[in-house]
Amino acid sequence: MIPVRAYWRLLKKYLRPLRARVVLLAVLLFTGIAFQVANPQLIRAFIDGAQEGQDISRLLSYAAIFILLAVGHQALSVLSTYFAEQVGWTATNEMRAELAEHLLELDMSFHKTKTPGELIERIDGDVTTLSNFFSAFVIHVVGNAVLLASVIFLMWREHPLIGIGMTVFALVAGVLMIGLQAVAIPWWREVRGKRAEFFGFLGEQLGGTEDIRANGAVPYMMHRFTLLHREWLPLEVRGRWGFSMLWATSIAVYVFGLALVFGMGSRLLTAGTITIGSVYLVFHYTELIRHPIDQIRTQMEDLQKAGAGIARVEELFAARTQLPETGTGRLPTGPLALEFDGVTFAYRDDASDGESVLDGVDLAMEPGRVLGLLGRTGSGKSTMARLVTRLYDPTNGVIRVGGSDLRDIERDDRRARVGMVTQEVQLFRATVRDNLTFFDSSVDDDHIWQVLLELGLGDWVQGLPDGLDAMLESGSGGLSAGQAQLLAFARIFLRDPGLVILDEASSRLDPATEVLIERAVDRLLTDRTGIVIAHRLATVDRADDILILERGRVVEHGPREALAADPESRFATLLRTGMEELLA
Amino acid sequence: MTTRRIPTARLGLGLIKYQKGRYAANVFAWASIWVMPMIPALITKAFFDRITGEQTAGFDVPTLVWLVVVYAFGRITVMFLGMWNDAHLMFRIATLMRRNMLERIFELPGAQSMKESPGEAISRFRDDVDENVESFSWTVDMIGLFVFTGLAIWILVGIDGLLTALVFGPSIAVVYLAAIARHRIKKYREASREATGRITEALGETFGSVQAIKVAGAEKPMIAHFRMLNDRRRSAAIKDKVLTAMLESLFWNTINIGTGIILIVAASSMRSGEFTVGEFAVFVYFLGFVTDAGFFLGLFIARYQQAAVSFGRMVALMGDDAPPLRLVEPVPLHLTGEIQPPDVVPPHLAPLETLEVRDLTFHYPASDDGIDDVSFAVPAGSFTVITGRVGAGKTTLLRAILGLVKPQRGEVLWNGEVVEEPAEFFIPPRSAYTPQVPRLFSMSLMENLLMGRLDHETEVQSALASAVMEPDVDAMPEGLATLVGPMGVRLSGGQVQRSATARMFVRRPDLLVFDDVSSALDVETERVLWERLFRERSGVTSLVVSHRHPALQRADQIVVMHQGRVAAIGRLNDLLATSPEFRALWEGEAE
Repeated sequence: MIPVRAYWRLLKKYLRPLRARVVLLAVLLFTGIAFQVANPQLIRAFIDGAQEGQDISRLLSYAAIFILLAVGHQALSVLSTYFAEQVGWTATNEMRAELAEHLLELDMSFHKTKTPGELIERIDGDVTTLSNFFSAFVIHVVGNAVLLASVIFLMWREHPLIGIGMTVFALVAGVLMIGLQAVAIPWWREVRGKRAEFFGFLGEQLGGTEDIRANGAVPYMMHRFTLLHREWLPLEVRGRWGFSMLWATSIAVYVFGLALVFGMGSRLLTAGTITIGSVYLVFHYTELIRHPIDQIRTQMEDLQKAGAGIARVEELFAARTQLPETGTGRLPTGPLALEFDGVTFAYRDDASDGESVLDGVDLAMEPGRVLGLLGRTGSGKSTMARLVTRLYDPTNGVIRVGGSDLRDIERDDRRARVGMVTQEVQLFRATVRDNLTFFDSSVDDDHIWQVLLELGLGDWVQGLPDGLDAMLESGSGGLSAGQAQLLAFARIFLRDPGLVILDEASSRLDPATEVLIERAVDRLLTDRTGIVIAHRLATVDRADDILILERGRVVEHGPREALAADPESRFATLLRTGMEELLA
Repeated sequence: MTTRRIPTARLGLGLIKYQKGRYAANVFAWASIWVMPMIPALITKAFFDRITGEQTAGFDVPTLVWLVVVYAFGRITVMFLGMWNDAHLMFRIATLMRRNMLERIFELPGAQSMKESPGEAISRFRDDVDENVESFSWTVDMIGLFVFTGLAIWILVGIDGLLTALVFGPSIAVVYLAAIARHRIKKYREASREATGRITEALGETFGSVQAIKVAGAEKPMIAHFRMLNDRRRSAAIKDKVLTAMLESLFWNTINIGTGIILIVAASSMRSGEFTVGEFAVFVYFLGFVTDAGFFLGLFIARYQQAAVSFGRMVALMGDDAPPLRLVEPVPLHLTGEIQPPDVVPPHLAPLETLEVRDLTFHYPASDDGIDDVSFAVPAGSFTVITGRVGAGKTTLLRAILGLVKPQRGEVLWNGEVVEEPAEFFIPPRSAYTPQVPRLFSMSLMENLLMGRLDHETEVQSALASAVMEPDVDAMPEGLATLVGPMGVRLSGGQVQRSATARMFVRRPDLLVFDDVSSALDVETERVLWERLFRERSGVTSLVVSHRHPALQRADQIVVMHQGRVAAIGRLNDLLATSPEFRALWEGEAE
């Protein structure tokens, strides 16, 4: 069935502000239908008038009104389309934005299980079916149903026999077409499935020409091409068969209508019950209602499909974050103290096994100190960073920043004062400016330039064809890993936090960029509290303290110089043997 | 893009010639389907003339009803046959074009086969083929349409010549213009599609960097940006929809105004009984059909231009050297009947004695990257390692040797003879290759390893063992039957790399070419790989890109590349003594 109620439940909130336009739309639609139904009546009056030898000026005025109503109907239908689209898009755009905002608010345990592709499909794909639903449902289903009903009503008014005939005609046509469609649609679905399979195959072939050529697999791949087409051909032929059946029904229905008019028309005319004009009227109306039946039929499938999309959207709106933002506290200015107090953490989602990633971590950092964080991959370094930025809350224990529990601090304040630079920098396909400010247009250019100059990026940005307005590419932005990291530094500098976490890029950089990065890191750590996840010896040199993590536990923690001087310490051993394995 | 002249008509004729019989059958069927609606028009006229008493001779009403039913059966039968024939014809034509394109792409140098991105290329295989098949199918409809329109106008002129000219002249013109204007819709549709592209892109980027956005507290501005993109799409989409609705209205208006004109002009003659109700019904009936025909003609002309563009895009995909007619070259498609699986390994004629590279030079178009004057020799059974910094030209060198790019200068010699067509020549059983980022395809692991080879299980097992892939396969739930590739189980980079290595071993070539296995394998696995290679496949010749110590230590010769040129050639100890570039690489790796 068509999921009208679910649809209405979801969209009424967004349609309410557009009430006036919805009412206007309904008026336009119904007026248009009235014009359309009235028109054949004029032809009838004309024919009868001509047969009776009425005044020529009278006949001409029928013709003139006919043209007027016809053109008026078309104008109204264009207007209705405009308003239906306008209302549909405005309402669903609002819904898209709210859904995207809602999803962004959800915590990382949600996002870890959803790929961006899936969310695109939900926010754009499913919501778009809602938008189509609106215009298709209003214009095609409601509009055509009203048209159908009014024509049948007018037929009953002509003569009960004609009314019965017409009702049967509409019912038979509708049932036949909808029934056959139910048979034909699964056939087409299979054709589409095979098509998708072939193009999936093709995409892989085009991306792997090197492997295929150089390993002599061209004949094999062409063989697979043939096999896929051999499976596809019978499906395609059967799909066309379904289409033929629908067309055949359409021809048969037309002939049925014609026979009905011929039979009843001649009988009633001979009996003198109706005029020749009325016979023509019935003939004309039979033509008129074929179209709406067809339209309702073609819309049925789309509307049913929308059901699944609507359910998925509702489900997403129902998801709740596990990290409610209720804090109201403010952080002090300047460098911030950081404290881990018995922090234990385990990821609680489908992708994790529930094992503790951090286990009773204690740490106290004075404001302005820099901590070098070392450990193998999976030792919990990145998790510590995620807890400090409150992407997750600890399972047990407390994290305090600037003396207060992270959960009690107001969200915007926390984000402004705690910054993080990750190894992988995601850039948007947007201008340099938007990439730095995350599309926040309230940041002024002078401030941006000041930051860029400070980081040594000034020359580079000035050298771009449009300066701050130059477009960057998506992903790595067509930039080197070093340049991308510098941009990430600039993002942080624009906000001037009191605590920064820096996950240094591990890829090799060219010497020029390396110098710039070194300088930027120096600047970044001046007058700020810092945690550096280090991949280079030079960066560890900068730390005041060293903390080594192993399987979620602190195995060594102390001032760097003291640890380096103690030959028994792990840190000193690391320095002696080279750090490769620990800096992975 | 090059501006090559595309002989659209000749390409179309090529397709017709390819399926002469089916095309002729289609012309016959569809011309009939188009012309047949003439019959109910005449029956309707006869009916109205009969009941108004205009005509007393001829068929009575029950006979007319029977005639209509017979007509319906006839038309439905022809339609089913026509549709069946059309499905077969169009499918074959589409398959032919796709097959010729894919075959041609496989002929081009593998690493630079297309200028287009795979996404763009797929659109040519899908959208451009569909577009052309559709236009091709319409050529048949046009024939039927012309016959029908001709007959209709002949009948109408017989009734009233002046009225015919008054009603149909303008309507055909208007509708024809409207159809031409439809290409404007395409522009709006493209704008709307582009706006949608921006939205999905923005959503993808946003949800791909949720963490960064959260840490930066940038949700609000990101959503504001998203709203702005949404607004843009709304206006683009509305323009598209409204213009479509307007054109459709224009079509209906033409019919309506035409009907109105008939009423006005015929008012007096109808009153006097010169113009009968039956004639009126025929006029209105044909008005719909003829307007439809005009609309269709306009669409066809727009389509024809579009077909030229699509042909152009498909021909361009096949590279600059392919003649355009290659696209429609007749080849057997084997869509029905028996087929033989291909024998992918041709007989072995000249086992490798030496492979020699002379003055090989290649640069990517509009780029400084490439290799210059590279020369060295690889004796049979040796282990040669190519090493160098990032961007030194190692991968390009391998590709140039194997013909995966087309060198501008220099040659490759197999046993002292110049290889004329390296891309045709360097395939199993002579050589096999694992690229730096190998691709597996969405098939079972077994099929990925064999890729058409008919091989024994034991040999696949031994290839897997040599490639250090056995334990991984054992751990897979369905072993070798596990579906891998983009649609299958996700393998790690190392597993893909080792599967591709096994794929190479299965082909048992004389020359194994590896591009930088170390990028995905850890030091230990790489060491085991080389060890097994030496132990189990000692006779084979290897050409390997690597910078890892285990490979360099085993090498019979090391080719050091620097900025696209050979900086030094020799064994490990010699190079450590003589080549500062190599020493830097060796020590860099140690740190």
